[in-house]
Amino acid sequence: MASRSKQKEEARARRLAEEQARAERVRRQQRIRMVGGAVLVAVIVVVVAIVVSTSGGKKGGLQSGTTANATTAAVNQLLGGIPQSANTLGNANAPVTMTYYGDLKCPVCQAFTLQGGFSQLVSQDVRSGKVKVVYNAFCTATCSGPDPNEFPLQQAAALAAGRQNKFWQFAELFYHEQGDETNAYVTESYLDGLARQVTGLNFAAWKSARNDPNLTAEVTSQQNTGRTIGVSGTPTLIFKGPKGQTVANAAVPTYAQLQTAIKQVS
Amino acid sequence: MTTTTAAGTGVPARDQGDRRLRIAIGVVCLIGIAVATYLTYTHYAGLNVVCPVSGGCETVQKSVYSKLDGIPVAVLGLAGYIAILISLAVRNELGRVAGFGMALVGCMFSLYLTYREIFTIKAICPWCVSSAVMMTLLTILTAIRVLRVEPGTVAPSAPAKTVPRAERRRTERRQAARR
Repeated sequence: MASRSKQKEEARARRLAEEQARAERVRRQQRIRMVGGAVLVAVIVVVVAIVVSTSGGKKGGLQSGTTANATTAAVNQLLGGIPQSANTLGNANAPVTMTYYGDLKCPVCQAFTLQGGFSQLVSQDVRSGKVKVVYNAFCTATCSGPDPNEFPLQQAAALAAGRQNKFWQFAELFYHEQGDETNAYVTESYLDGLARQVTGLNFAAWKSARNDPNLTAEVTSQQNTGRTIGVSGTPTLIFKGPKGQTVANAAVPTYAQLQTAIKQVS
Repeated sequence: MTTTTAAGTGVPARDQGDRRLRIAIGVVCLIGIAVATYLTYTHYAGLNVVCPVSGGCETVQKSVYSKLDGIPVAVLGLAGYIAILISLAVRNELGRVAGFGMALVGCMFSLYLTYREIFTIKAICPWCVSSAVMMTLLTILTAIRVLRVEPGTVAPSAPAKTVPRAERRRTERRQAARR
């Protein structure tokens, strides 16, 4: 009798254990499915994010027709009448010098030059002779991009325009028609296209100047000077005046921030 | 059937473990929120980040990888930490898995950005690295939470079985009066 009831209890215990094990299996499978689903969704989200991050999605590029004419007109209006010599914009005797370390392919430099405080600085302080701007090449976006060899090519092309005192027209047009930094778009035809848009530039002389190895050496020298003084990003803006030196402490400085820096040194 | 309880608390050990995990995840999230808030603030205020490594933060901050389709990655990080923190309030399997999924996305994307820092930008931003470490920690902690807690042991939005202090005092007073 006792053994029968014991058997019954054992059978019940076995049944319970089996049910528990089955429920456990179902739960485990359910959880594996949920975790697997979460991992799959996470991988898809990250892959999409990486694709978006690397594709950039920026349009830009060389302009043509009326758009190019409008851009050239805007650049001429900004720079017209301001003295230039090589990579320097403004009065050579200006009391304050802003040294602009930049990379023509750098989108933050583009933001500063076109939307930040730079345009107002040029139209007011540079035009009035209070400030002069010296552009020095420093490789950032181009060196992070698909072809770092574009850097000396593009910067020397701007310096070649500088031989005809058109450096700033070339640089401004480059920023206006800048492409996606993750693409190797700085080709001969791109640079030629920009040069043809520079009003008054002798194209043949510019082409011939580009072959001068001194220009590439100058780009390297500017880059080395930047490294020596601790430049690490672009744009880096160094202000020098009678009261000393300061650096504009912002990624894309506004005109007010540039004014603060100018006041500190003058 | 016996239930293991944490010593002297009367709370099942498994619940106690989940509570500890939630606290750890919450703390890591709060540190992450602080870092991401600082990076977001400096981005919109146009300031350079205070950087223990000379120039590294500035280089990374000014690179193309500091934004995803125009949105600063600091903002995305901030949103991620807040979302993981909110997932802790959802006390069921879905909340745990969602927290793990979000932490995994943050961790994998942070690792991708760290790869870009080292091999493409060639500069290290310690703030970004610290965020990547926190996302990795969150992935580990949320994974443990998903794998160790049995469904049903932590009832969804189950009310705490502790008696509120005020009620406890009232009962004590009543018992004292009876004596």
